[in-house]
Amino acid sequence: MSNLFLEFIFAFLGTFGFAIIFNVPLRQMPVASLVGGLGWVTYHVAVDLGTTVPIACFLGACMVGLTSDIASRIRKEAATIFVIPGVLPLVPGAGTYYTMLAIVEGNLDKAAATGVQTLAMAGSIALGLLVIGTVIQILRSATANIRKKTA
Amino acid sequence: MIDKKQKSILLLAVRAGELLMKNGAETYRVEDTIERICKACKVPYVEVFATQTGIFVTIDSGREDSDVFTYVRRISGGNSTDLKKVSEINKFSREFTTSDMSIEEGSRRLEEIHGIKPLSIPLQLAGAAMISAFFCLLFEGGLIDALCAVLIGAISYAISLLLAKHALNYFMKGFICSAIACILSLLVCAPFHGLQYHSMLIGVLMIYVPGGAITLCIRDFLAGHMVSGLAKMAEVFIIAISLATGAGIVLSIWNSLGGVI
Repeated sequence: MSNLFLEFIFAFLGTFGFAIIFNVPLRQMPVASLVGGLGWVTYHVAVDLGTTVPIACFLGACMVGLTSDIASRIRKEAATIFVIPGVLPLVPGAGTYYTMLAIVEGNLDKAAATGVQTLAMAGSIALGLLVIGTVIQILRSATANIRKKTA
Repeated sequence: MIDKKQKSILLLAVRAGELLMKNGAETYRVEDTIERICKACKVPYVEVFATQTGIFVTIDSGREDSDVFTYVRRISGGNSTDLKKVSEINKFSREFTTSDMSIEEGSRRLEEIHGIKPLSIPLQLAGAAMISAFFCLLFEGGLIDALCAVLIGAISYAISLLLAKHALNYFMKGFICSAIACILSLLVCAPFHGLQYHSMLIGVLMIYVPGGAITLCIRDFLAGHMVSGLAKMAEVFIIAISLATGAGIVLSIWNSLGGVI
């Protein structure tokens, strides 16, 4: 539990660094960092519960998409301002690195295995954001329809 | 003939779109903003096609005898991610379309937004140091590794800022920064036992992960902007390859010189 809290703090502060170099408006920086921290914690909890890594990435990305959309409504900002820094902790930087390392070591079997894993992680992040984006679009048009009917 | 007012509307709208595209907004937002600005100035027919490298706008005043006007703006130079500008232009376009702001006032505001400076360099270096330290910790690094990552991250980000100033292309930028980060972390770790240069290097390389391009690529595909989506996907892959080759070449040289990886 304390481990999870520590991971949240690390991911939060790491995302804060991205918020600085991407020049996120000052007032939105903590929110963007929160999105990043929550995404990473979701990923971590999913891995702890025994899902495969790509599925955990998918769930983490869903969390990032969802919290960014909520934040964009509350703060009246574009959702991208939260998604761009927020999704970065999930991006498989380590996977890409170990794939490259295996190629340098001449261990092509290992390179293929980690490479496929990395691509699957990247793909599931994309899928997570896509699914959440689509759900939000559907909800938006549904509520617009209801409003039109009641008006 | 296009009249003067229409031309200034067109210039204002395209300028807003260009600034959005250059600072990391989705293609959808660029097209939507241009269309809204034109519509707010009572141009009845607007068609926008925006891609990563150019914006095409056509307007028509809708009269029987009127001509159709098309404006092409080539977007050259690299694009960076400056989310503050995206946010400000977003606010501007909302304000412009709901109030009766004049076009001159509008273009003045846009140039003001264009002139917003990024955060000061020491702050940016601190940001880069934070990224490398905390991602080093997330990827199984220890406390001392993280402290080394702070230093390496700040140095390599300073070099990347310097390279960006001299307009080096983004492949070489990624390659050089990644190679320098790799050399530094190998040198730091060589004399000591028990330091994790893998974690250090992963932390530092996270700085250069193209987060903007990844997110925008997905959002563009979702909105049906296939051309921009593909362009951004290519950008993501090229940057990933540049980072991997930079570190990879240094590691193989180190290995062949007898160092342990």
